[in-house]
Amino acid sequence: MLGTFKDVETAARAVDGLIEAGFPEETITSLTSAPFPDGVIVKTDQRTWFRWMSVGGGMFGACAGFLLAAGTAYLYPVQTGDKPIIAYFPAGIITYELTMLFAILGAIGGMFLEMKLPPRKGRPYDPAVADGYIGISVSVPAGDLRNRAESIMKEAGALRTTSEEML
Amino acid sequence: MSEHAIAEKSAGRLNDEMLSSLRPPTWRWYGLAFFLGAVVAWGLAAFTYQVMTDLSVTGLDRPVMWGIYIANFVFWVGLSHSGTMVSAILRLSQANWRRPILRAAEAMTVFSITVAGLFPVIHLGRNWVVYYFLPYPNQRGLWPNFRSALLWDATAITTYIIGSSLFLYLGMLPDLALVRDRTTGWKKKIFDVLAMGWRGTAREWVVFRQASILMAALIIPVAVSVHSIVAWDFAVTVVPGWHSTIFPPYFVIGAITSGVAAVITLMVIIRRVFHLEEYLTPLHFDNMGKLLLVICLLWAYAYFVEVQTTWYAHQPIEWEVFSFMSGKYTPLLILMLIGNAILPITALCFKKIRRSVKAMLVITILVNVGMFIERYLIIVPSLSHKNMPFIWGTYSPSWVELSVTAAAFAGFTLMYVLFAKFFPMVAVTDVRELGIRHADISLGRAKVHSISEEE
Repeated sequence: MLGTFKDVETAARAVDGLIEAGFPEETITSLTSAPFPDGVIVKTDQRTWFRWMSVGGGMFGACAGFLLAAGTAYLYPVQTGDKPIIAYFPAGIITYELTMLFAILGAIGGMFLEMKLPPRKGRPYDPAVADGYIGISVSVPAGDLRNRAESIMKEAGALRTTSEEML
Repeated sequence: MSEHAIAEKSAGRLNDEMLSSLRPPTWRWYGLAFFLGAVVAWGLAAFTYQVMTDLSVTGLDRPVMWGIYIANFVFWVGLSHSGTMVSAILRLSQANWRRPILRAAEAMTVFSITVAGLFPVIHLGRNWVVYYFLPYPNQRGLWPNFRSALLWDATAITTYIIGSSLFLYLGMLPDLALVRDRTTGWKKKIFDVLAMGWRGTAREWVVFRQASILMAALIIPVAVSVHSIVAWDFAVTVVPGWHSTIFPPYFVIGAITSGVAAVITLMVIIRRVFHLEEYLTPLHFDNMGKLLLVICLLWAYAYFVEVQTTWYAHQPIEWEVFSFMSGKYTPLLILMLIGNAILPITALCFKKIRRSVKAMLVITILVNVGMFIERYLIIVPSLSHKNMPFIWGTYSPSWVELSVTAAAFAGFTLMYVLFAKFFPMVAVTDVRELGIRHADISLGRAKVHSISEEE
């Protein structure tokens, strides 16, 4: 269920109304086209796990880079004078670059995974959000609870409401 | 535009103004795109002629086997350096004035590193077997030699192109959703895919903000490494004038100088072309001018240290290279010193000049002219006068090399012109966030502007 509001005050009033009516806060979220400080409309868990994907990516990249530069030098030896088969400085450069590359890929991949984007199915959305309107979305099953959420939103000043079935 | 003025405008109006670059192209836009396309086509024809003949159509000959192509490579890598780096540093430091300039800087990086990446390939004698240096098992029984600096470049540039493209894309994600919601037809379908279903939920914003900071932190060391590696192309050789420990930091400083100057130049052009005078204000030029002043001081210091060490030690071959360079290329050397040090350091001390858009345009263009000359003067004199006097020589670029160079500049501009027509040139949501966070609060007898920040 998504309600569209003209401004932040009416949206915040709707969120207060929903919480007072017993809707758990974690089921309520806001849809905005610019970020608001936490708690202005809804409170959100600030903890994220996607950074561990970046760490994992970096570790994978380090192994891949070292194996690519040093491992292959060992497998395809090129004897140059009395120089070592594995050249540590170039191996270090390749290892470093691939570490950073996979850390970046891990960060971006992890970010999308944590955001659950792209979504597998349609979710309630109102394009008016792009023009500064505020969307308040609450996850409720169809039935009485949904009707109640809709009436709370309309009382708070929702311009319109949308549900998943309407998509 | 001040935070106050942004807060006064409705979101719809801010969107309209900041997305004005996406309006249907005018005949002037087509004319410019056609002209740039023609220059690129001319450069491609010249390059094809080089491939069909051989490197004898260039000015390259023993002992100078690196010429203007490699000067181009170093210049474009340098230009790419600062866009992402400036953006990343300003993001990390949460400088509020960063917001209107982020996109111009990040896009500049992607396009200039793309142009830079072409030059090692253009420079190769047998470009058609460029795939030889890709690391894959093959029937030749050879494995790419990672001891070659060429492979360090290939790896670093690949990392940087991917990293800076993702950094640009990440910053654009909310704006892509914004454009998706305001367009129709085929454009909507494309932006639908690019926006990845972004809705702007509170959770998405939390993850997005943290990802932006993480990416900014990751991209800075990559940027530094790329130009250090380009510097090592020179410094790890025993060519006089190149074999110097200061080269990597000197190259990095030079790269930031040219990059910051190019960002300012682009800011001037974008401001004028897309009528963004309210968003790119004298304050932004003032702050960027201060940054450029500091970087030019650093560059001048690094150049002085480099020359002073050579002069005082007076090692014969090192001094010979410097004397040759300062004697044969005196006008270029003077122009370089004026463009990179004397002019910006003296002019940018004055607030009035930093806040003058026209003056900043002239200064920043001259900085990059100076920087291109600097790249040229690093490469050619050192190779002309290496350790063995009996093979000393000279070099001047041929029409083929100059055509390819012109095509590189035109190609970069063309990519930028196309990007500006299809993607938002100002970070809309970043600017609008500033309006949201702004409030006038009473303090004593006055009302003062305040911007809320989170830890």
